Amino acid sequence: MFAAEGIRCASCSRSIERALGAVPGVGRVSVNVATSRVCVEWDPAKSSLEAMLRAVADAGFKPLPFAGEAAETAFARERRTALKRIGLAGIGMMQVMMYVFGVYVAAPDGMDPAIAAYLKYVGMAITAPVLVYSGMPFFVGAWNDLRRRTLGMDVPVALALSLAFAASVFNTVRGKGQTYFDSVTMFIFFLSAGRYVEMVVRQRSLSLSDAVGRSLPAQVARVRADGTTERIPVRAVVAGDTLQIPKGGVIPVDCTLAAGTALVDEALVTGESRAERRGVGESLLGGSLSVGGAIRVIAQRDVAGSTLASVVALLERAQGSRPQIARAADRVANWFVAATLLVAVAVVTAWMFHDPSRAFPAALAVLVVTCPCALSLATPVAVAAASTRLARRGLLITRADALERLASIDTVVLDKTGTLTAAGRLSITGMTMLGALDKKTVLGTAAALERSSSHPVAALFTRYDEPDIAVTDLQDVDGRGIEARIGGTRWRIGRHDFVAELAADTAAPPGDLGIYLGSEHGLAALFEIGEIMHPEAFAAIERLRALGVEPIIASGDRDEAVDAARTALQVEHASARLEPAGKMALVRELQARGRRVLAIGDGVNDGPALAAADVSCAMGDGSAIAQAASDLLLLNDGLSVVGEAVATSRRMMQVIRQNLYWSLVYNLAAVPLAALDLVPPWLAAIGMSASSLVVVLNARRLAAAKADE
Amino acid sequence: MNILFVLIPLSLVLLGVSVWSLFWAVDTGQFENLDEAARGYENEDGPSA
Repeated sequence: MFAAEGIRCASCSRSIERALGAVPGVGRVSVNVATSRVCVEWDPAKSSLEAMLRAVADAGFKPLPFAGEAAETAFARERRTALKRIGLAGIGMMQVMMYVFGVYVAAPDGMDPAIAAYLKYVGMAITAPVLVYSGMPFFVGAWNDLRRRTLGMDVPVALALSLAFAASVFNTVRGKGQTYFDSVTMFIFFLSAGRYVEMVVRQRSLSLSDAVGRSLPAQVARVRADGTTERIPVRAVVAGDTLQIPKGGVIPVDCTLAAGTALVDEALVTGESRAERRGVGESLLGGSLSVGGAIRVIAQRDVAGSTLASVVALLERAQGSRPQIARAADRVANWFVAATLLVAVAVVTAWMFHDPSRAFPAALAVLVVTCPCALSLATPVAVAAASTRLARRGLLITRADALERLASIDTVVLDKTGTLTAAGRLSITGMTMLGALDKKTVLGTAAALERSSSHPVAALFTRYDEPDIAVTDLQDVDGRGIEARIGGTRWRIGRHDFVAELAADTAAPPGDLGIYLGSEHGLAALFEIGEIMHPEAFAAIERLRALGVEPIIASGDRDEAVDAARTALQVEHASARLEPAGKMALVRELQARGRRVLAIGDGVNDGPALAAADVSCAMGDGSAIAQAASDLLLLNDGLSVVGEAVATSRRMMQVIRQNLYWSLVYNLAAVPLAALDLVPPWLAAIGMSASSLVVVLNARRLAAAKADE
Repeated sequence: MNILFVLIPLSLVLLGVSVWSLFWAVDTGQFENLDEAARGYENEDGPSA
């Protein structure tokens, strides 16, 4: 099994299947579009993983050996077991209910006692396997809770299940009294189904944020003393090794350049959006991309000591200091459970003095009626409904309590590169004619000059290129621009000072981002190069503002670029040139002023800020480090979902509160009645189920609500 | 009503069959990739795998 980047549609999966099918020794191939996973059965004797990866790469996709394979297999096993448990409980529930229904509705003495007893035995025969197989997780959970000396939700569940079942068996055998087989199976079914939904949502998010698989290459080419290369694991790199990095490859550790020049994209580490040119002996940061061409570098450190690794370490520290709201919730649950058990004991004791025969039914009624069903379901069903709704829109929740925290945020810190703007993507945002030439000629000339350049800006002109414009004496003046001769005229394209020198133009340059074109006869045009704003960025910011959330831009990029984004989005506060630690400090400072912060980012450099924030959101195509640190994971480009997530989380809290009030009112009303033995256990079971149903239906409103409420 | 003593065991057999088929379906991965079948119509030669 491995992951492949770039799978978007069914025809993509089809072409991967075809490509792999052609490799000898490959058996079954299946491609999962939703998770970008390719699953292959192959004969190791006839084929190698390498041959298959090459086939996938040839088909135009980026294959990534999947580091989390063991985890994925474990997930699948867990999911299948849970499905079988739910299935058995569901089928059992319906059957048992069918059998005992007759017993319930029959008039007193209306049913042959032999038949009634028979139906109860059959119910018992079905309930027993459901209890043992489907109910196992609750007993295991309760046992673990008790061993750790805590009282989790599983404790009363397990207690009620075993008491209700034992009492039912006892009553069935002695031939009188109530049986609760239907309640037992129904209880198991509802609880397992709720937990299954939660598990699937969490698993899906975890497998997508498989950190190790994506941030660093698994292998790197080391150059031997005789000039040949060998592939070694990244972990084996030591300082002093000479490494060969292919074009577009990740520089795995902090290095110095061995020869030539390199164009590196450090967006992952520093957030700088423009590729930087480096010369021989200059240092390259681990985690940056070589975008210019293949380069040779000399490793300065091993992986553990590299910049990327130190960002990861910073991140782990920040994560460790996160306040744990979840623990408080657990403590409340513990108290509730303890109170329930105490009430049950008190009821038994009290009845022992008055009427010992009524002690057991009353205690059981208390346990079943207060069975923390509604209470324990109140939060998970609301969370599940909200998560499902957001997952459908491409936002995954990776931590169970993230939505709860999201509801209270009032500030959002946004990274610029890759979040508000498309990462590293530039475009010609404006064009000013400075001479008498027409637009077509200017663009054609510029394209001809940039034809053989590998600089990212050059690619912007490619589509205007006209092959019949012949270029001679082309020279790339490093870092400044390009000079060439077209039909006898010397042209230059590049920075203002470089072009103005040739054009003998002395006017001051108006800005920094512009690219100038000019000849010996004067300047011809100014191209404004800017980053492409995310199409939904403006609407997303507006939405957040409408919800009372203040947007703040925090970027590692240059002042001008950040300022452009700030103006375009009409954001009041923006900070530029922030290191990873600086972003984290900004978040901490906001928190110190009492703000509740949501951080959105995509790069490795956002990791520490994400971890420090109250809630964090990473872009799905961003770096794995950011993904691993985040509470929320945005899978598509739909930045506006963030606003909806905030709105949904607030509605979710409202629903949770309603649910908790409801179960409180229900319990307060039902417990005294049950304790006085006024509620027969069968009515308690129905009351319990109905109260759970109310909670579930209330939560369903979250999933069903219209998109823009 | 004695017919119940025959019919109910029969229904239990049916119950066993349905549980067995559910377990078979889960174990052979029928529920693993629910979107793939729906996408199959886009392929000229039918659903994959």
